[in-house]
Amino acid sequence: MENQSVWLGGLRGPVRLGMIGFTGLALVTFVILIVSQFVSAEPIGMYEMIRPAGRPLAMLMLFSLAGALLFASVYLSDTVGPIEERPSGFFDYISLVASRLAMISIAFVVIVMFYEVVSRYAFNRPTLWANELSLWIASFIFLLAGLYAMQQRSHIRIYVIYDMMPRAFQKTADVISVLLILLFTFTLVWGGFNDAWTRMLRMETFGTAWDPPLPGTVKPAILIIIVLVAVQAVSNLIADWNKAPEHHGHDDIDEHEIETLRRTLEDK
Amino acid sequence: MVDIGTLSMILLLGMFALLAIGMPLGFASAFLAVVTLVLKFDVDILFNTFGRGPFSVLGQAVYRQMTNYVLISVPLFIFMAALLERSGIAKDMYSALNQLLSRTRGGIALVTSLMAVIMAAMSGIIGGEVVLLGLIALPQMLRLGYNQNLAIGTICASGSLGTMIPPSIVLIFYGLVTETSIKALFTASFLPGFMLASFFMIYILFRSIMNPEMAPLPPEDPTDPKGKEKGLMFLGFLGRLFMWITGVLIARNLFFTVTGDNAVTEGVEPIFLGMVSDLPYIIGAFVICALVVYLVVGKDRSKAGWDMSKGLVAPIIVIGVVLGSIYGGITGITEAAGMGVVAVFVIGLVRREMTFDIVWDSLMRTLKSTGTIIWVTIGAAALAAAYTLAGGPTYVANMIVGSDLPTMGVILVMMFIFLIMGMFMDWVGIVLLIMPVFLPIVLRLPVEEIGVLGHLEARHVAIWFGVVFCMNMQVSFLSPPFGPAAFYLKSVAPAHISLTDIFKGFLPFIAIQLIALSVLLIWPPIVTLFL
Repeated sequence: MENQSVWLGGLRGPVRLGMIGFTGLALVTFVILIVSQFVSAEPIGMYEMIRPAGRPLAMLMLFSLAGALLFASVYLSDTVGPIEERPSGFFDYISLVASRLAMISIAFVVIVMFYEVVSRYAFNRPTLWANELSLWIASFIFLLAGLYAMQQRSHIRIYVIYDMMPRAFQKTADVISVLLILLFTFTLVWGGFNDAWTRMLRMETFGTAWDPPLPGTVKPAILIIIVLVAVQAVSNLIADWNKAPEHHGHDDIDEHEIETLRRTLEDK
Repeated sequence: MVDIGTLSMILLLGMFALLAIGMPLGFASAFLAVVTLVLKFDVDILFNTFGRGPFSVLGQAVYRQMTNYVLISVPLFIFMAALLERSGIAKDMYSALNQLLSRTRGGIALVTSLMAVIMAAMSGIIGGEVVLLGLIALPQMLRLGYNQNLAIGTICASGSLGTMIPPSIVLIFYGLVTETSIKALFTASFLPGFMLASFFMIYILFRSIMNPEMAPLPPEDPTDPKGKEKGLMFLGFLGRLFMWITGVLIARNLFFTVTGDNAVTEGVEPIFLGMVSDLPYIIGAFVICALVVYLVVGKDRSKAGWDMSKGLVAPIIVIGVVLGSIYGGITGITEAAGMGVVAVFVIGLVRREMTFDIVWDSLMRTLKSTGTIIWVTIGAAALAAAYTLAGGPTYVANMIVGSDLPTMGVILVMMFIFLIMGMFMDWVGIVLLIMPVFLPIVLRLPVEEIGVLGHLEARHVAIWFGVVFCMNMQVSFLSPPFGPAAFYLKSVAPAHISLTDIFKGFLPFIAIQLIALSVLLIWPPIVTLFL
């Protein structure tokens, strides 16, 4: 991970410090919360976590967690992964930060599920919140994954005819694609805005025991992130405008992957 | 207002045009959803007030997909497969199987198939599997002088089994789109999957025994134990393995007994193999295994067998965790995938292979593949919602059912369409865009006319069709000109093997897949035997 900085430059150090600081704070708060489960008369559980008003400890936990996630995402977006191209469009950085957040979240979903299965199966004490929490996080992962796939240009496309076209035609085709994506986004927002807006203002909840504000957050997030995807499409169009035409084999194959596999196999 | 026939035609042509200019599939479908709504409703109804109107179905369709619990299993299965590829589990499994079968004619090809089946039972996606087998088995087969076509075909055809043997990502999507029980789909695909795999193996054996030059034996290793000895050693390994398994079951049972969780209560399902009354049986099994290990095989030989075959332990644990969670009734598909991730991660930790870089790299790949797959779902969901609102599926179903084609004729036409589309399109696109139209038709066909030899029950038709579809997609992984397995193998094969060579090697295996497909069509009850 010791590559040079992609876009933070001199800010890399401070961001790293911020990440470590917030993560430390979040861990300490977490330990305090765990301990208070056993000693406090009114422990703060997951139910209180999403209703933090008037509970300083819960507020501190959420605040430090948000800070840790933010700084970690920014810091991790500063290194290009081996399967990624260097960011070239104006919007790439935002997409990359969002993608790092989503990657951390995938690992988090696994942990939540593991906790739930262990506590339900081994200790026979199922949680009320684990399924809904995974669902809630996963909906954001799905949305942000699309933003990342757009930034990486890895959405499923069929290149048979596209690759045969002269470059000028390809550019025209790209412009048409992006315009149609914008049109879809426009109609989506046109039809869905009221629904999302009212639910967000009410912070509409899921109607279950734990009752997270899932519709109240996911509905607006769908509109916002699809708008971001459309912006990313425009950004790609601009960034790729003067690139030479490339030929597309099968997209899923990358040399780095094969190289890593080869090394794993030779080690033995 | 356009009538539904014209609308369907416009959508079909529009889809071809948009895909031809290289528009991403998901967004092309999403845009066509807008077109459908514009053609169905008047423009001033659609646009007269901002923030509402028929366009709201788009957002609702996306929301339904985003909050689908089963869909979470998709990134988790991908994550698990990515971690699995980066661990040495596959390599160890290969050497274990190889030692067992090295003196059999066609041994390495058989090992490749067997290994592919085991890997298929661990994860539900292809790609990594073909690459991995291509890296491990292809060089060895070519070095020994195996027939090149046989080697290539074996690797790719077996490597594609990942989506035929549960867990399978294709069946998960089929279940989501058609609201069929995914667990039932998995159960139903077991037998056809193994049938296909055994067809491959029979073919390999047949070819290599008929024509021994196609699969030369490796030079004899004097230290290698001989046939019968090897069988005994393997028995010793199995004995020890089952001692472990029954040992864990005893511990689990005792844990329940101590905590009192397995007390017999009315109305509560008894815990599988977890009740006090099960204890004698488990202990009995443990004792039998111990007898086999220490008396029949002998302690030293068992230990040697264990050392020879211990590469098989990790895969067995992973399969046990994933399929055990689903079929043991412990968890649903999604948690099973999550537990699979944990199992692979822990095994990797024990083997001292997991590093932050490996996990991070796997997460990155997971996110990328997730975005690629799920956003086709988003677009297709929007299109399906709009098209259903316009009455599309009913129209198509009426048209087909009203025509004079015999039932099996309709099915055959569908198979043909699947095969042709599979040559050009990803399975995701086919299952999301075509299935909502095709399945209602199949469900309206007279059920007693489906199949030639046995017949299905009406409630099993959707499951049967899912398995049939899955078999179709097996062909699509191999079929030229874009069969993905060929490209995966090309990326790791020696330079002198061209794409044409690879596709040539596929031909007999495609024929085998078509035979397996016709078995499903002629004798449908094979799917429902275990249901």
